Amino acid sequence: MSTTDQQETRSCVSCGINIAGTNAAAFKCPECGKQIYRCAKCRKQSNLYECPDCGFTGP
Amino acid sequence: MTDNDAPQEGLEAAEAEIDEEPAEGAGPAAGSAEEETIEPVDEQDAETDDVEAETTDEEPEDEGPTLDDDVMSDEEADLLIPVEDYLGAGVHIGTQQKTKDMERFIHRVRTDGLYVLDVSKTDGRIRTAADFLANYAPEQILVTSSRQYGRFPAEKFAEAVGARARTGRFIPGTLTNPKYKGYIEPDVVVVTDPIGDAQAVKEAITVGIPVIAMCDSNNQTSNVDLVVPTNNKGRKALSVVYWLLANEVLDRRGAEPSYSLEDFESML
Repeated sequence: MSTTDQQETRSCVSCGINIAGTNAAAFKCPECGKQIYRCAKCRKQSNLYECPDCGFTGP
Repeated sequence: MTDNDAPQEGLEAAEAEIDEEPAEGAGPAAGSAEEETIEPVDEQDAETDDVEAETTDEEPEDEGPTLDDDVMSDEEADLLIPVEDYLGAGVHIGTQQKTKDMERFIHRVRTDGLYVLDVSKTDGRIRTAADFLANYAPEQILVTSSRQYGRFPAEKFAEAVGARARTGRFIPGTLTNPKYKGYIEPDVVVVTDPIGDAQAVKEAITVGIPVIAMCDSNNQTSNVDLVVPTNNKGRKALSVVYWLLANEVLDRRGAEPSYSLEDFESML
C-alpha cells in the first residue's frame, strides 16, 4: 500500500483537490467545529468555502 | 509681511488637515456624520450665498436623517450591543472604494459615496470569530496591528484573552525564522488590516495557519480564512470590535468578562 493511501484524505473544501505542500490551511469550522482544509490556490484567490456539515460560508 | 503671512497660512492649513484626519478615522460616528453633513453645506453656502441661500438650507435637512438610518438588512436581528452603539463608534462606515470580495458584506452606498457595511453581519462575524478563537489555546493566538489606532485595542485584547500581540512593525521572520529571538509559533493569527499587516498574513500563509482579518470595504480577502467586516480605520470602531471580540471569547471559555469599553479606547 502506498503512502498516499495510508494518509488521511485532505481535500480542499472549495475545489476538492488533494492538498499537498505548504501554504494550505487546516482549521475547524468556526460554526460547527468540523475540520476544514483550504488549498493554497483557493486561499489566494479568496474562493468561498462552505462547511459540508453546517453550511457556514467563508471567508 | 506677505512672505511671513504665507508660510503661516500654509502651516495653519496643514495643521487643520492633520487635525481633521484622526477625527474622521477616529469615529466616523454620529458626530462625524454630522460633520460630514455640515461640511458640504458650508461649501455650498460659500458658493451660493450670492445666488440661492434658501435651497442650501433645505438640502441638509433632507440628507441628514437618511445618512445613517439604514445600516442593516434585518432590523430585528439580535445584536451584541444596541445598534446605536455600533453607529456611534462608526463600525458600519466603509470607504469610498469597494472590492468584489467585500461586496457581500456591504449593505448600501451613501449619497456621499461611502459604502455602508451591514452591521448585523459584523455582529454575526464577531460571534463566529469568537467561536473560532475559543478552539485555540490562548497563548497560541497572535494579534497584530501595524495601524496606529489598532495598536492599543489589539494589545488590550491580547491581555484580556491571554494571547500574544505584535503591534507596530511586524518583524519579518517572526513566524518563519527560528533563529530570530522573537520567533513564535502561533496556531492562529488575527490581523487588524490585511493591507497594513501584509507581512503577518504572508508569514501565516507560509506556515499554514488560519488568518482572521478585520476587513473594510476596500480590502481584498486574499489569504484570509475568516473575515470580520468592520471599519478598520477608526479609533472607536476598532476599540468596539476588539472589546466585543474579547468579551465573546471570554464568554465562550466560561470566564467572566471584566473589561469595559473604556478600557479598550486608546488616548488621542
